[in-house]
Amino acid sequence: MQTVTKFSATTRTEFWTALAEPEPQPAPRIGVGESTAHHGELFQGQIEDQENRKRRCLVTLPCPCLRSKAVFHPQRGGQIQVHPGHKQKARRVVELALATLQKQDLGGVLVIESNIAEGKGYGSSTADCVAAVHAVADALGVFVREQRVAQLVVEAEVASDNIMFRSAVLFAQREGVVLENYATPLPPLEVLGVDCDADGFVDTLRYAPAAYSWREIQQFQTLVGGLRRAIRTNDAQLLGCVATASAEINERYLPKRFFRELKQLANAVGALGVSAAHSGTLMSFLLHPRDPQLRHKIHCLREGLCRIGISECFHFQSWNTQMEVDL
Amino acid sequence: MNNECCSALLESYQARLIPLNDGLTAAAFPLMKIFPASFCVKQAREEGLVNNDSLVVETSSGTMALGLAIVCRWHAHKLTIVTDYACDDRLRRRLEYLGARVEIVPGPAATGGYQRARLDRLNAIRNENENHWWLNQYDNPGNPGAYGSFAAHLVETLGQIDCVVGTVGSGGSLCGTGSYLRMLYPDLKLIAVDTFGSVLFGHPDQPRKLRGLGNSIHPRNLDHTVIDEVHWVTAAEAYAATRELYAKTTLFCGGTSGACWLVARHWAARYPHRRVVAIFPDDGYRYLDSVYDDQYLLDNQLWIPELPTEPREVSDPREAEGNWSFMHWDRRAYDQVVNAKGMVHTA
Repeated sequence: MQTVTKFSATTRTEFWTALAEPEPQPAPRIGVGESTAHHGELFQGQIEDQENRKRRCLVTLPCPCLRSKAVFHPQRGGQIQVHPGHKQKARRVVELALATLQKQDLGGVLVIESNIAEGKGYGSSTADCVAAVHAVADALGVFVREQRVAQLVVEAEVASDNIMFRSAVLFAQREGVVLENYATPLPPLEVLGVDCDADGFVDTLRYAPAAYSWREIQQFQTLVGGLRRAIRTNDAQLLGCVATASAEINERYLPKRFFRELKQLANAVGALGVSAAHSGTLMSFLLHPRDPQLRHKIHCLREGLCRIGISECFHFQSWNTQMEVDL
Repeated sequence: MNNECCSALLESYQARLIPLNDGLTAAAFPLMKIFPASFCVKQAREEGLVNNDSLVVETSSGTMALGLAIVCRWHAHKLTIVTDYACDDRLRRRLEYLGARVEIVPGPAATGGYQRARLDRLNAIRNENENHWWLNQYDNPGNPGAYGSFAAHLVETLGQIDCVVGTVGSGGSLCGTGSYLRMLYPDLKLIAVDTFGSVLFGHPDQPRKLRGLGNSIHPRNLDHTVIDEVHWVTAAEAYAATRELYAKTTLFCGGTSGACWLVARHWAARYPHRRVVAIFPDDGYRYLDSVYDDQYLLDNQLWIPELPTEPREVSDPREAEGNWSFMHWDRRAYDQVVNAKGMVHTA
């Protein structure tokens, strides 16, 4: 005979209550987080998925030597305050992060320290938001997955770049979704960045997303084929071609001062290509880090820039957190 | 059928990329035209040019008809195909099984050949049916526009591409693929394969034995200014090459693929160390009783004992006569090569 044990109603309730009891968590402490910037996009466009939905997406050019650091000082109850006070997207993302982690009762002060210029295409607000989410997670002693960070940031700022991901991804910047994960970093690039309009800036949210034509969507489809190969085979040259073609298409929607001149210069000097910030005024020349003529090419690019009246440029490496000393 | 299913079916028609030799890669489609058919129908649906009651119409001698019939079945559209004798009984049955109505014109028009006769009949059908949509593969920009995913497939698989060789009928596949690839590889060469008696590159219109390429009218989708080189191939040469392609590589393809292979293989040998892609538009099953039948070739004076190894170079389209010939077109406009009176400029 089999014995059937029956729980009494009381035992059952106690049992489940015990399970639901929250794990003892470390008391909130001061948390820190950090994020790097980017320097415009290597690719930005719109493709069609298997269900014929048009998806806007991008691949950013990492600029690890520029960074935003966030420190979160949690306090029981009250509001979230942010310093500097205009970084409201970062404040919003802290609220969202706390809500997601079911810590709505927490408030606190978020202090952001960043050397990333705003409105240029460095993704300053995304960097602030990513740093802020990491700071909150650190304060609470929890780990937040990259995908979750991306969703929080997009929710806070409508459109973001993909700097929160360590490997190269094709990122739907308005959905917070990874369309393609290449599971490996981008081919390393030597970059000479320029600001095409030193006095201008672009507010990401104040201009309408590009209304790409069907032909451009097909062109982007082809470029994504190029991206996949460039990343898979570590082909910086192909990546440069993709970036140039993408910048060329987007030139119709957010034209850059000196775009023609810069493209010609890149060609003449033998750079891999150019890339542009699709919500900003930045452009960059892409070069191969192991190009034997690298010094000479950078020199020629600087000279060419001077001829069109651009005296300032910014040399960095897409994989290097150190600010590069000029060659 | 839902979008996901249609996408998966379409994807199953993507070209197989097969490296042959001398840097030559075959892009072998089972039925290439399904891509422009699907793309143009999708566009027309999105733009509201086609609704569920519309009659879709098109003129085609073969593969576009089949591609469009398949796509129309996916979306449950009514379809009428106007065609000619090149649409054999088996193809006609396949189209009809897919729900298409097939109209075969009895003979060629006085000028403009079968194409003109087909277009005349097509226009009559359009007049009879108010709610119709004509795909118009010759002039619809969606035809060349449809090759973005093919170009992506090539770039993703092969990387650097130096030359694409393709047969030209509407101009869609070669000009479309070329325009997308040139975003990444601006120096890419585009080699067009045509046949004698086709007006596309400056020959006077004449009856042609080689079908599936060439044309009696000028399609807007052929952009002469992207073409670097033109080859004219005879039906006999194309068929012999198709047979040799099968015997040597085991790729079982239609007659236009043979014409393309003949030219691409020669180009790859002429310019070593370049990556050459040859576009093979369909598989061979439709041609078992023609290209792949010795008796048919003999009966139709299409048998040649041996393939020519080299084309004859000409500097003017009208010098191209008799056997496989080619000229450097050098991305010129049609009128730059052939003027309005049909006379040829000397280069």
